[in-house]
Amino acid sequence: MNRRALDTVAGAPGRMANPAPAPLAHARPAGLLGDKLDMAGAAVFVAIMVVLPLVLDNSYLLGVLSVALIYALWAVSWDFMSGLTGRENFGHALFIGAGGYTAGFMNTVWFIDGWWSIPAAMVVASVFAIVVGLPTLRLKGPYFALAMLSASVIMERLMLIFWEYTGGEEGINGVEPLFDSPLSFYYFALAVLLLVTVALVMLARSNWGLVLRAIRGDEATCQAAGLNVTWYKIASLLISGAIAGAGGAMYAHYQMQVSPQVFTVVLTITVITMVYVGGMGSVWGPIGGAILLVMMTELLRDFGEWRLMIYSLTLILILFFLPEGFIAPLWHRFKAWVGAKR
Amino acid sequence: MSAILEVKGVTKRFGGLVAVNDVSFSLAAGEIAGVLGPNGAGKTTLYNLLTGFIPADEGSIVFQGRQLRGVAPHRIVRMGISRTFQLCRPFVGMSVLENVKVGGLAQPAPPEGREAHAQRLIAQVGLSGKENMPAELMAYGDQRRLEIARALAASPKLLLLDEPIAGLGSGEIAELSTLIRQIHADTGLTVLLIEHKLHEFMKLVNRVIALDFGELIADDVPERIVAHPRVIEAYIGGNVPETEAA
Repeated sequence: MNRRALDTVAGAPGRMANPAPAPLAHARPAGLLGDKLDMAGAAVFVAIMVVLPLVLDNSYLLGVLSVALIYALWAVSWDFMSGLTGRENFGHALFIGAGGYTAGFMNTVWFIDGWWSIPAAMVVASVFAIVVGLPTLRLKGPYFALAMLSASVIMERLMLIFWEYTGGEEGINGVEPLFDSPLSFYYFALAVLLLVTVALVMLARSNWGLVLRAIRGDEATCQAAGLNVTWYKIASLLISGAIAGAGGAMYAHYQMQVSPQVFTVVLTITVITMVYVGGMGSVWGPIGGAILLVMMTELLRDFGEWRLMIYSLTLILILFFLPEGFIAPLWHRFKAWVGAKR
Repeated sequence: MSAILEVKGVTKRFGGLVAVNDVSFSLAAGEIAGVLGPNGAGKTTLYNLLTGFIPADEGSIVFQGRQLRGVAPHRIVRMGISRTFQLCRPFVGMSVLENVKVGGLAQPAPPEGREAHAQRLIAQVGLSGKENMPAELMAYGDQRRLEIARALAASPKLLLLDEPIAGLGSGEIAELSTLIRQIHADTGLTVLLIEHKLHEFMKLVNRVIALDFGELIADDVPERIVAHPRVIEAYIGGNVPETEAA
């Protein structure tokens, strides 16, 4: 009997760790009505994000939202590769850090205009993606996840070891902001995020995305369909890494400094958590996850030492009751509900 | 008819075990043949060698004049060899239509379009109306049909079916056998299938390649295979069992 099918029907335990996957949230039976609702939902979201800083008129909250947008960029890029293919990347911080330090070096050591940082960061992050992905993505098993994890940890250590060049623990300070006004940066980050998300969602809904989801299903069958699985995985990692690198550079310019924290496992885990909360495999859902988690972190500041506990407990509850995530699955239920009413 | 596939002296060892030992045979274009053998005879290993999933240690495999040894599995598919797996392996979380579409993605888009092509194949294997069903929720017999549709989506010239009727009830076996025969008749494909349910198998194929302990022991028409002493010996000494547990 087909164990795979049984597992899925029974809702196999341990599906978070194992790529024997639950159906993805964005598998879309919704049709034309669903597409219209998607467009409407996206329009409402964009309108809110555009108006919000003007209404709030609060520089602290503007800062929080700007950081949330950059986190969203990282989460979306993680989801495009790992969410769709099921090959979890436990070292996304490698790309983020590569982008951040590229910006730091270019801007403060070689005094190159800040706008060159972003394309340069994308190139550097892509090189990292190829160096780590090429040998490990052709293998089955946890090698890719472990290699990514190790690479990011090694880079973090290297930043400390070569402190004469990297500033060690302190990192590189004095990175120039890209814009004079924080509001301009916010809108820039929003525009980048929207552009990237639209592009990736379209890619995910194309034949390319179909292949990535098939890889999540069964790699051997993909090969039996004549698909060069390794190529698809590496190309996707490259796209994912380049975007994360661009986000890293934006972050460095926004914070006006870059420190080894951008290479840490904690950052990777935070990004992955945002994806889980947002709904893995939807590509756009992690935006909601990122905004929700960043806001939650800030709102809980008043709770002092209780903060981390409340934060963790909330996450556990969300993932316990909604193991497929919060944002994208709920949106799909809403669409199904609207569809049923008509 | 000219040979579409020529296998010469193919050998595969796993450590001390010789899974496939010096096997040679050829397939004529358009023929429907079967690989027969008890469990562990090396049938699936032979398939994995033909499709490049595992590399052969010795010998040559020539398909339409081109050497297949050392060629990556996905390239072999593009050259025209499609396979199914012994255990159904549908893409979980994807619909029947999406499953079949993926099967055709490595080929250039057909004139009718990928979607229509997939729809036609779904109809051909008798799954019309189930296009949007999640593949993993289908009945096992339907999953077998889906496997065949997905393999056909790659527009193969040689179709390798790995135990397409294993684990099915007798009614389903008859239906699926009819389907396979019909596909062979309609498309003119060369079909090679593995089976160890003798009875159905003998009705399905025109020629049998029998393996035992990795060695080719007979290569003949079904009528003579059932009387072949080495085949009878391989199937537990006495008479050829009519029905065997899958």
